[in-house]
Amino acid sequence: MSTPVIAQPAAEPVVVKGGPTPAQRLTSFMPVIALVALLAALTIADPDFLTQKSLTAAIRTSAPLVVLAAGATLVVLCGGIDLSIAALASLSTVFFAMWLPDLGGLTTLAVIAAAAGIGAIQGIAHVVLRIPSFIVTLGGMSIFSAVALVISDAGPIRVVDRDATNWLTLYVAGYIPMAFFVAVVVVAVIALVLKLTPLQSYITATGYSESAARLAGTPVDRVKVGAFTVSGACAGLAAVMLVSRNFSGSPTMADNLLLPAVAAIVVGGTAITGGHGSIWRSLVGALVITLLRVGLPIVGVPSAYEQILYGAIIVAAVALTLDRSKVLTIK
Amino acid sequence: MTSPAEDVDVAAARPQPRRGVSLRDSGPPLALVVIFVAFSALSSDFRSIGNVQNIMDTAAVLAVVTCGITFVLMMGSIDLSAPGVMGAAAIAVALLVANNRNGNELGVIGILLAILLAAALGCVSGLALVLLKVPSFMTTLGVSAVGLGLATLMFNGVQPNITDGTLASWPVERLLGLSYLTWIAFACVLVGYLIQRYTRLGRYAFAIGGAEEVLALSGVKVAPYKVAVFTLAGAFYGLAGVMVTSQLSAGLVQAGKGYDFAAITAAVVGGTLLTGGRGGILHSAVGVLIVMVLTNGLVQVGVSPYWQGGVQGLIVVAAVAAAVLPQRRRNQVTK
Repeated sequence: MSTPVIAQPAAEPVVVKGGPTPAQRLTSFMPVIALVALLAALTIADPDFLTQKSLTAAIRTSAPLVVLAAGATLVVLCGGIDLSIAALASLSTVFFAMWLPDLGGLTTLAVIAAAAGIGAIQGIAHVVLRIPSFIVTLGGMSIFSAVALVISDAGPIRVVDRDATNWLTLYVAGYIPMAFFVAVVVVAVIALVLKLTPLQSYITATGYSESAARLAGTPVDRVKVGAFTVSGACAGLAAVMLVSRNFSGSPTMADNLLLPAVAAIVVGGTAITGGHGSIWRSLVGALVITLLRVGLPIVGVPSAYEQILYGAIIVAAVALTLDRSKVLTIK
Repeated sequence: MTSPAEDVDVAAARPQPRRGVSLRDSGPPLALVVIFVAFSALSSDFRSIGNVQNIMDTAAVLAVVTCGITFVLMMGSIDLSAPGVMGAAAIAVALLVANNRNGNELGVIGILLAILLAAALGCVSGLALVLLKVPSFMTTLGVSAVGLGLATLMFNGVQPNITDGTLASWPVERLLGLSYLTWIAFACVLVGYLIQRYTRLGRYAFAIGGAEEVLALSGVKVAPYKVAVFTLAGAFYGLAGVMVTSQLSAGLVQAGKGYDFAAITAAVVGGTLLTGGRGGILHSAVGVLIVMVLTNGLVQVGVSPYWQGGVQGLIVVAAVAAAVLPQRRRNQVTK
């Protein structure tokens, strides 16, 4: 029963080559189709949208979301969920603002390392204490917010020295914002590392059937801790990007990115049940979500509908991508 | 491999909680007493009558939210929709009773309509779970976003301040030293207990959490009961949203912020297992008091109130870890 399912991810890279049947192939292209359709719709609604300037602005805003979603995708691929990414990113912006005067140029690395460490702690709590991942990360979310509020005294901290984040505001080849370029590089590096090492198989095996993977000798626990670590590191990087845009660190800065990030993952087509999906899909998903975000005002929809749309999208996308053969009773 | 040991384990563990008092049932009340005594010893402000009244009054909203979430947790599902549902109900009720935004003066009917809206949102969570087979933490996350969106739409940039007499009296008028809000919370706990104990809905919610497959195989149509449980939970959140509006005398979109997590914490600390089939309303009520006493006590001894969420996070992780500890060897798979 599970053999044909496992055959699917062998056909990666997903966006380029699809599953076995034409229907599945179409489904795996869905995020790209949605992206193109959205772009077309927005261009029809406002012909000025398809200009270099507004597209550059759009992908620049998408950068932190891409990074956040990419990291959390690994956890989802393992069959878990990381609900703490946004709170961890907020905490990291505070770290960045507080550490910058002392650490200078090393701050970026220090923040990413700290976030990765915090992610690893969550992963260890998850595998050692056997607490479901959403409870660990829900608890983490609440703890990180509290720590951020306490150390920042519940207010934004201005970043005066702008040199440390200046590089993120540059443009590659004159058009591509550095932040987005970095985000794509991060996605590419993670994807490449997964591809060139057994990690890809480990993660997929863990996601599809954890007990089978364990019996086959996959280091399931280490893979999961690794996924949480990368997720944490990505939250740290996203925080640096946010600071480079806002010139301050704040305990609630990234909090509203949780829903878009989860939406990006599921819209990309990564199954919430684990195993099926890829990090590239989340890149496309994040772009779709960003286009929706910047597009709604263009079409004249009040931004209040944005939340409703996220909610509907999450439920619909999960319903479409869920692997029903695996879960007999849905809790 | 481990099945014989497992069988013995299950057979030995099962009858215990039915006999009434077990460590699992008596632990949380004991913890409550210990925490209360400890804080009383540490702070003289804490052990005043006024502070105890204060704790009861601030616990009211959380108690109502926890009543709702307990039924969902008993089924083994999870509900993250409280912030959205409460926000929508809070704004809705503010616009339906006498207020500064429009001419509505529906009074009690307005309150009921707001609760109905919340119940409808809960129903949507349940339907998405049952019909689309989307896991509950995803459907409720989605419904929470929808509720916040609805609340923002109704809010429309101008804060609705309520002028309704009944609603305004809830937090200030007192009966036997406790505010009306607290008595409403008591009533909710009582109603919740009666539903849990004496109705088919409550009994089935327990059974679904214990062994859904068995229940389905014995011919019970599980799906309608699941939807009903989420609807009931939504109604409780709605009432909680109304209560927040009465406290603030204004409808706010963020009325329910943080209540989902606080309620899960309270339920888990009270002894309701996240895997379902254990615990109940009375357990959760004790859990609510533990959380509130802890929150209040920490502030009284001089800990920054910003730590509140962090303390809850630590408690929930610790409580869940302690609850799964006996079954560690049995479930190898944790998602």
